[in-house]
Amino acid sequence: MNLLVLLFIFIILSQSWNLIGGYTGQINLGLAAFFGCGLLVTHFVWKAEIPIYFAVVAGGLAAVMLAVIIGLPTLRLRGAYFAIGTFALAEVCRIVVGNMFARMVKMPGSYAIDYNLIPRYYLGLIVAIITIAIVYLVTHSKVGLAMVAIRDDEQAAQVTGVNTFKYKVYALLMSSFLAGLAGGVYAFLRLSFHNITAVFSPIWTFEPLMAVVIGGAGTLSGPVIGSVFLVVLSEIFALTLGEAHLIIFGLLFILVVMYSPYGIIGSVSRIRQMMSRVGRST
Amino acid sequence: MEIVFQTIANGILVGALYGLVALGLGLLMGVMKFLNIAHGTFIILGGYVSFWLFNLWGIDPFVSIPVVVIVMFFIGLVLYKLAFSPLLKLPTIGMRIDTSMLVTFGLIWVLDNVMTMLWTPDTRTIITTYTGETLKVFGTRFSITGLGGLGVAVLVALILYVVLSRTYFGKHIRAATQDAEAASLCGINVNRVYLFSSGIAIALAGVAGVVIVSTYSINASGGISWLLIAFVVMILAGEGNINAIIPAGVVFGLLEAGSVLVVGVPYRQAIALLVFIVVLIFKPQGLFAKKALGI
Repeated sequence: MNLLVLLFIFIILSQSWNLIGGYTGQINLGLAAFFGCGLLVTHFVWKAEIPIYFAVVAGGLAAVMLAVIIGLPTLRLRGAYFAIGTFALAEVCRIVVGNMFARMVKMPGSYAIDYNLIPRYYLGLIVAIITIAIVYLVTHSKVGLAMVAIRDDEQAAQVTGVNTFKYKVYALLMSSFLAGLAGGVYAFLRLSFHNITAVFSPIWTFEPLMAVVIGGAGTLSGPVIGSVFLVVLSEIFALTLGEAHLIIFGLLFILVVMYSPYGIIGSVSRIRQMMSRVGRST
Repeated sequence: MEIVFQTIANGILVGALYGLVALGLGLLMGVMKFLNIAHGTFIILGGYVSFWLFNLWGIDPFVSIPVVVIVMFFIGLVLYKLAFSPLLKLPTIGMRIDTSMLVTFGLIWVLDNVMTMLWTPDTRTIITTYTGETLKVFGTRFSITGLGGLGVAVLVALILYVVLSRTYFGKHIRAATQDAEAASLCGINVNRVYLFSSGIAIALAGVAGVVIVSTYSINASGGISWLLIAFVVMILAGEGNINAIIPAGVVFGLLEAGSVLVVGVPYRQAIALLVFIVVLIFKPQGLFAKKALGI
């Protein structure tokens, strides 16, 4: 059950990264900041005895606010500079939050007494479904087309009259909203955070990125498959190999990037194409 | 007044190290347009090699630099053969940067965990007889290891400058940087130039690791924070402007040390990074804009 909730969080996060990184082609290395921001706000709103569903939405909106304040300036940067800028901003957030909350952040004991995994599961499931629905709707609309155009050739898109900055802003805001929701679900799952900087650590950017790329960037089902793959395999390997499974993931990731840029999804559809071609020729 | 001088001294010492940290990254990015995210991890790897030499055979870290350079150089050659050379086929420079970023990102995962298995997750440092000693000049204290780091940084930068601007091999590198196709038409073996430059770049990361392990400490997953510093310094210097990297590092070090006076120790990195982002947005070509000579 715990694993399933984690899986949902991963799906949300990787879809969030997929929107900005997979569809729009802007490699965002600051996802952890939005995740952490959503987590913190949800935590404190929930602590103020507001129902968790509202608290999670508040977390998502807070992440959007953060994106407006810090994310918009970085969108002026292009390519690798955007990646470096967002990475630096996430580090700034981590340092500032680490200084603000030097002690343990936790819920009062009454929350822990009636702790139950079932509502966590449903919240995760609902948010994950909403996320996938949002990504589906966005990518099947004019906005999605513009985003893909920016990814494929930003200058050409600009020349043909796409307001590239506007659509990049849309992508960033939606992506950070989803990341904030994921943070909210995680805040609901875990009541106490021993060291709050851990939720701002780059791991929360890198693992979803990995899931997206392994599954297939710029597709709807790719991140889902990647997340399932990553979470399930890490659970299996954690028992037998310990930390060594991360080495295997790293190698797999490198191979996917170098030899199958469209991830698992891409290779499956390519195999299917080959099969059908074989079928036709005989 | 004394505290101001001390701050400036600290800033220069730490800034020289920052410049040294960024040299390898800047070389790889400048010559081949490969963005090596695993740069920080290679720095840590170099530090561990030195740590081993010190622990097993008692070799002083500053003496072990040549050994580390040779080891890391060969690692760089392997890295180029396995990971970078397939990427040269990609059609555009932008794709090359993005893909190399992702490949080396996977490399972080691999190396981090290999290093954790080899050297345990403990924080390691080298403590020699002179660690913690300081040299007092006009009431300003300089730590011995920090001065050693400054010396190494300046020496390495000078050697790199001489190699790039005074030798035939350096000329080949500059030619391949400006236009790889034209260079290979002129009879330069661009592939070999790339091979050796990535070896040099990783060796530079190793040197930085030696200085870090003797001045500060390293642990297996600490590469990311050094990577960030290397990024910042590279951007401040301006992409591909290798000769400006050490000065840019000193600027960044002074900035960080100066912000300690203003906002205190906890926020010093945050302030420095914010200034970096402002520079990135308003002057993306770097503080030391490219001159005609630079590579």
